[in-house]
Amino acid sequence: MKTIKEATRDTRVACEADVVVVGGGPGGIGAAVSAARNGASTVLIERYGVLGGMGTGGLVTIIPNMSDINGKQQIAGICEEWIERLRVRDAVAAPKKEEWGVTDKELVKYYFNRIFFYIRQDRVCYSAVIDAEISKCVLNDMVQEAGVKTYLHSWGTEPIMEGNECRGVIFESKSGRQAVLGKVVIDATGDGDLLPYAGIEFEDNIPANFRIANLALCFWIAGVDLRRAEDFKNNQPDAFAAMQRECLKLGGFPGYLKSCLNNQESVVWIHNRYPNKSQVDVEELTRIEFEGRKKMLKTYDFWKKNFPGFEKSFIVLTAPQLGTRSSRRLIGEYKLTKADMANNEPFEDTIAIFPDLDRGQESVDHPNMFIPFRCLQPRNVDNLLVACRAFSSDEHVQEFFNLIPHCIAFGEAAGTASALALQAGVSPKKVNFADLRARLIKQGVPLPDVRAGVR
Amino acid sequence: MAKRPSVRTITEPAREIKVCREADVVVVGGGPGGIGSAIAAARSGAKTVLIERYGHLGGMATGGLVNIIPNLSDIYGKQHLYGLNQELIDRLDRRGGTSYPKKEDWGTTDRKVVDYYLDANLGWFHVRHDYKTDKQRVHYTAVVDPEILKDELNDMVLEAGVDLLLHSWGTRTITDGNTVRGVYFESKSGRQAILGKVIIDATGDGDIFVSAGAEMDNDCDNKRRTAWLALVFWMANVDIRKLDHFRASQPDKWGELLQELSRLGGYPNFFKGILRNQPGVLWYHCMQPQPERTDAMDVEQLTRIDIKSRKRALVTYDFMKKHVPGFENAYIMLTAPQLGTQGGRRIVGEYTLSEKDLETDEVFPDTIAVLANNDFGEISSNHPALCIPYRCLVPKRVDGLLVAGRAFSSADTVNETFNIIPHCIAYGQAAGTAAAMAARDGIQPRKVDYTALRENLGKQGVNLPKIK
Repeated sequence: MKTIKEATRDTRVACEADVVVVGGGPGGIGAAVSAARNGASTVLIERYGVLGGMGTGGLVTIIPNMSDINGKQQIAGICEEWIERLRVRDAVAAPKKEEWGVTDKELVKYYFNRIFFYIRQDRVCYSAVIDAEISKCVLNDMVQEAGVKTYLHSWGTEPIMEGNECRGVIFESKSGRQAVLGKVVIDATGDGDLLPYAGIEFEDNIPANFRIANLALCFWIAGVDLRRAEDFKNNQPDAFAAMQRECLKLGGFPGYLKSCLNNQESVVWIHNRYPNKSQVDVEELTRIEFEGRKKMLKTYDFWKKNFPGFEKSFIVLTAPQLGTRSSRRLIGEYKLTKADMANNEPFEDTIAIFPDLDRGQESVDHPNMFIPFRCLQPRNVDNLLVACRAFSSDEHVQEFFNLIPHCIAFGEAAGTASALALQAGVSPKKVNFADLRARLIKQGVPLPDVRAGVR
Repeated sequence: MAKRPSVRTITEPAREIKVCREADVVVVGGGPGGIGSAIAAARSGAKTVLIERYGHLGGMATGGLVNIIPNLSDIYGKQHLYGLNQELIDRLDRRGGTSYPKKEDWGTTDRKVVDYYLDANLGWFHVRHDYKTDKQRVHYTAVVDPEILKDELNDMVLEAGVDLLLHSWGTRTITDGNTVRGVYFESKSGRQAILGKVIIDATGDGDIFVSAGAEMDNDCDNKRRTAWLALVFWMANVDIRKLDHFRASQPDKWGELLQELSRLGGYPNFFKGILRNQPGVLWYHCMQPQPERTDAMDVEQLTRIDIKSRKRALVTYDFMKKHVPGFENAYIMLTAPQLGTQGGRRIVGEYTLSEKDLETDEVFPDTIAVLANNDFGEISSNHPALCIPYRCLVPKRVDGLLVAGRAFSSADTVNETFNIIPHCIAYGQAAGTAAAMAARDGIQPRKVDYTALRENLGKQGVNLPKIK
């Protein structure tokens, strides 16, 4: 391998803070807002000009699986606050609270027909479709009101290490390379970008047939006459199926998801899956951007010609951020594995409850997944926590529990723990769990009763 | 809030960085300047690498939602910009991805025609004032579909054989004395290096030349467009007929509302979307002056303006929805994925274009582009075109480096008008061609033979004047 020697250099320290959060996606939002609200001076570094990550820039405008099979909401806290702020502006669509968990066939059919995220295990589930643009504004408000110092258009690249302690991060921006020093650094990059440079153990095996093995380039088509499109689908199922087959054969996509948002009937979104070798390899990211855009145009051209209702449509937007589903995963103090997906006992350090809804009968037997704080903690490095889909998990747990609401919950726990640890003058690993638990409950996070020493 | 000490630094130790590519020409930035550079360099036979920060090409034209390629003809209707600009528009045309006045209308003063184009877009896109006749004239300006454009640019770059890396942020030069040898870039693959014989800074902001220690100018009068940042957005589901009726029937009320909106910090001005099938879409180009000087190279200001612009967009949306007929069911369809930067650092080159050049009609021996001069009022009527010398892309002193894009060597007065998308494509086409020639001949870009460069550009369809 050819290399070039980059000379030693002095890099300007842009600022110092208690907690430095790298990445402004769902994990980073949860982490920064909760750290700041708990009294820590907090810096948030985001690569793009918007907060929200996949939820906004990735056009994955869905916060799914917040209620369990019984209709009980298990994910709340900052996640619910985001949705509540959208609700005030009529910028979110979700089943009504009294309908969560309902099995009524007509209602289930109604919601399934709206969007499949609303139905899990033949029941209505609390999943919210969110307005991406209003979300960007709402998230800006949340970090600002909490007093977070935010750097947008800033790419956090590497941790600053002193032995096995993390002291800050380096970031690149139009102001050049700079450093932010912090007492705790939270990796909310989604990909665990800081892990390799901090010498933290991680793994990245993903079976090819898993959802998370795929990248996505989501896009929106606008100007659709949805009523005509739906009439065609529902009243001429054979013709529709034939059209879908033909489109697939040509390399396009077979269908769309409805916007569901008020006044946006003429917009449909297309989610998709692109197999790849790695989601943190720049060559692969480049390749998929090209492939995705080609496939999108094929779909659009075909639909415009052959799908009633799409005659006057136009592609309004491809996701500004490529849809990454999984890459590096921390090997932490506790690694959640397949065995945990059959265990109904909470952990002593449970920081979140995730409804388990996507695994058929297994989900019925195991309605909720408990998440220990330890799966956010590296084993061999101090002052660094992970708050994103890079949490410590095997590929099976990762497949189902790395979505937007989950990442917000990881973030809320990591940010709160960091602030509490700093107040107590201890490392985030040594945070008093009873205090953390009490604080999270106070913030509206549902947590189970725990017995000491159970898991 | 976080504490901010003034000049504290940390020491990063020396380290080995992986060299992931070696090429003849390395282009940093995939906006209009970078596209022009990379395609021209690759077509001229150079092994070319292009690195782009975002996941798409096109810069402001796509990610910035500044989806307009203006001033392709002068106010009299004579087309000056051809080359890659025209090729791009031809390709978009085949896909229905562009909209522009009919050729026979370019230059016309026919009131009906002028009014048609004015009303179609509610703006100046297609119309300029001619001070000689005191009449408005239609000119050749194309509006482009950002999503179709992204795909066409991908095709053009790949067909030319450019080696492209997206999601790659070129950060610093690798220098050897006064000579640039390559660049470092950051990506999900970590920090890597690319070495090249000629590096083209097409970052728009001169991100690369600043680290090479090139002389630059950053002055800009706050009154200039180029001093402002903008966050363009699109509003959809607007009932245009209802809106037009309201504007026509209650002009006073309309005026009052717009004043009130301005007072509240919203954006009163918008354009009608004129791309195919966008009847209810409005474009907010947000060109209003910012209350204070902004610096597009300062991350603190970028952050502040981004957040503030989003607030202003929301104020606009709420206000229009509440008060203006036609907006009842509107929604914000999208905000630009890239913040709109309009000006930044400018290289101090072998030649600096200044205001006096607007009135000399000088044909430089190294002219690499002719630009329509449409926005200088009376001067434009008398001097409808401006020649651009190659030397304003060549930095003083620093070797191995060319500049393609809005950072070309110019006074802020000239930069304000000639740093737009078609100009950057033209600068890129010249820089890429020259870089390929320098790499092939093993010479510095500043030594490239002007006559040969002009011949090569002519072969590519670039319209150049005869040199006396």
